[in-house]
Amino acid sequence: MNRRTLLRHAAQLAAAAALGSLPHRGWSALPRPDGWSASEEALLDAIGDTILPATPGSPGAGSVAIGRFILVMTADCHPPAAAEAVRRLLAEVTTRAQAAGARAFPELPAAERERLLVALERQPPPARDGVAPWRHVKDLTLLGYFTAEAGATQALRYDPVPGAYRGSVPLRPGDRAWAT
Amino acid sequence: MSSHPTTPGARAHTYDAIVVGSGISGGWAAKELCEAGLRTLVLERGRDVQHLRDYPTALANPWDLPHRGRLPRALAQANPIARKCYAFDEATEHFFAKDAEHPYVQEKPFDWIRGYQVGGKSLIWARQTQRWSHHDFEGPARDGFAEWPITYDELAPWYSHVERFVGISGNRDGVEGLPDGEFLPAWEMNDAERAMAGRIEGAFPGRRVVQGRCAHLTEARPEHLAQGRGKCQSRNLCYRGCPFGGYFSSNSSTLPWAARTGNLTVRPGSVVESILHDDATGRASGVRVIDAATKGVTEYFAKVIFVNAACLNTNLILLNSKSRRYPAGLGNDHGLLGRHVAFHNYRGSLNASLEGFADSYYSGRRPTQPMMPNFRNVTRQETDFQRGYMVFFSAARRGWTRGQGAPGIGAAYKEELTRPGPWGIYMMMQGETIPRYENHVRLSADQRDPWGIPQLVTSIGYTDNDERMIRDFLAQGRAMLEAAGARDIRATDDRRNPGLDIHEMGGARMGRDPRTSLLNRWNQFHTCPNVFVTDGAAMASTGVQNPSLTFMALTARAARHAVDELRKGTL
Ligand SMILES: Cc1cc2nc3c(=O)[nH]c(=O)nc-3n(C[C@H](O)[C@H](O)[C@H](O)COP(=O)(O)OP(=O)(O)OC[C@H]3O[C@@H](n4cnc5c(N)ncnc54)[C@H](O)[C@@H]3O)c2cc1C
Repeated sequence: MNRRTLLRHAAQLAAAAALGSLPHRGWSALPRPDGWSASEEALLDAIGDTILPATPGSPGAGSVAIGRFILVMTADCHPPAAAEAVRRLLAEVTTRAQAAGARAFPELPAAERERLLVALERQPPPARDGVAPWRHVKDLTLLGYFTAEAGATQALRYDPVPGAYRGSVPLRPGDRAWAT
Repeated sequence: MSSHPTTPGARAHTYDAIVVGSGISGGWAAKELCEAGLRTLVLERGRDVQHLRDYPTALANPWDLPHRGRLPRALAQANPIARKCYAFDEATEHFFAKDAEHPYVQEKPFDWIRGYQVGGKSLIWARQTQRWSHHDFEGPARDGFAEWPITYDELAPWYSHVERFVGISGNRDGVEGLPDGEFLPAWEMNDAERAMAGRIEGAFPGRRVVQGRCAHLTEARPEHLAQGRGKCQSRNLCYRGCPFGGYFSSNSSTLPWAARTGNLTVRPGSVVESILHDDATGRASGVRVIDAATKGVTEYFAKVIFVNAACLNTNLILLNSKSRRYPAGLGNDHGLLGRHVAFHNYRGSLNASLEGFADSYYSGRRPTQPMMPNFRNVTRQETDFQRGYMVFFSAARRGWTRGQGAPGIGAAYKEELTRPGPWGIYMMMQGETIPRYENHVRLSADQRDPWGIPQLVTSIGYTDNDERMIRDFLAQGRAMLEAAGARDIRATDDRRNPGLDIHEMGGARMGRDPRTSLLNRWNQFHTCPNVFVTDGAAMASTGVQNPSLTFMALTARAARHAVDELRKGTL
């Protein structure tokens, strides 16, 4: 449900007029943090899109600017060791991609990218200063994707104003989980 | 500066009543006093927060928040205490007092979580509300550590009074230890919880599992619509402020109601430094205020003063209210002010998984959970610890976060995470702690806050009784979860500091005997009867219930008494 529908719900209230004037901050994707290049961001997009690819009904993580999200979160919410961990992971992924005969990871076909990351997940670069590079990037991929608009509303079900709680709802085949 | 309102300037600063603090209890004091026709001044140290206008994140989707709700590191590092509160995040941090701006001295570790704004913590509370029972009022005397000057029956009509206005959802369960109230329809249990409830009650005769009760409008009755509030929409974004007025806060409810009488003045940015005592009359004459921004000093005068700054700040103000008559703080002839502080024991919790119910789900987000009234030492001492605890638990299907730390890459992994996961269970305790003389707060002799007010020193800790209670809960919780069919049960003692429960109580306790208590049965100082304390500071014991409903009922009752006494001319 979008903001307009939400306001329509609220319009049943005496207070609706005031609600219409609620400040709606123009949150948008934040700029790429200093010290990171467009190609590093693109490499993270490709890693994210391999972990969570497009499937019927929902796009992959690469299409929700997952690279930007991982870099912003790493810079803003994690200790400096996390940035180092991301660099080590990117280097490791690139080394493995080159060993597989590509110039860079994004150039590999999807099936090979997946195979490469499955192998990497079995033997990930070691944790340093409390940050495990693979785990860090994968966890942020999941967070960034399932809280992005496409992830929440297409891969999952999102209802900003449920209106009520029902404690017993039969789960039918194909029903998706609630986003929140 | 004179403390007698005789000059014209002083008259302009004179009201019938002053309320210190605009949170849950201060909002109720303001409402009741204004409705009774008293010109009432509410002094609030924090900024103004207007319902709707000042809820900047209330409509934000997860993707609208730059860090999707996670705390930026700078904010987390600057707030090592506030960030421990589960409700402190990117979307709510503006309603929490910041650690660096409001220093205090932890002689023993105490996580003091505060909301300094119009509305206080009413914007960020979890809204769970249960009445005390007669066991809770009588137990402390049985166990020999405190004596309540009032009974459940005296408070019951005041519970009803506040419940009708606030709007409390719940079932009429007929449980003696958790009396029924004036309820709106209850929230539903989900299928897993209903099954667990039946299994626990079957395996433990005498123990009850009932649905939680909370300050949410499951139905908007005329008295709620008249406040401009509507039905709770099950968004569960409450800590951001609710644009529907679906839950109770001072901002959505009591303060606008009081304002409509024309008798209310709210002064944000007014840090109350002390209460002024007139040694000639033996009454308080007013309060001294420091402007939060300019630090200029002003005085305000009134016939009655309600102190509702929340437990520890109320203690601080009272301790700092020194006069020739009361050199150690208002009413503090015996050195008991600031003593017998207690809190709730939240240290024990259990996690588990539950098999089955694969075809069952739920919709909407529910602001409460099933709970179990205390089953320990209810009518007599039965265990190796004193008093008891309530239990809360919930069952929910795991979401996509189960993929974090789990192996998997690609389409199948992603598709699996988009389906509801297996059921997980969370169970926690809310235990009574015993107010001990040693557990106290006092004024620092040398440290001052940015307004020149002595900092509060916290000296509050756990006892062996608390440790034994935790052990009992973890054992009982495990046994109940096993009986409920749970698997993978993991018990945790998180060893959290006192304070993080955010249910601090005591310091100016009520009692019959002026030699062992500060306040009488109407929450008035025994020795200074025009000062009322009706927040957590007044509590002689903590009970096992969430406390705020009781603060509200005590406040409304005390306000009525103040009005009656004023009319009789005895105040
Ligand atoms: C995350 C969270 C969850 C909670 N969950 C529950 C729950 O489920 N159920 C429950 O019953 N309780 C709950 N609580 C506790 C509840 O919020 C408090 O019990 C309640 O708010 C206390 O009301 P009060 O009026 O005493 O204080 P507050 O609501 O804190 O209001 C006090 C006001 O006084 C102001 N003030 C302080 N000092 C001064 C001064 N010197 N001068 C002027 N003004 C001053 C403050 O700025 C504040 O606005 C929770 C609290 C939190 C933070």
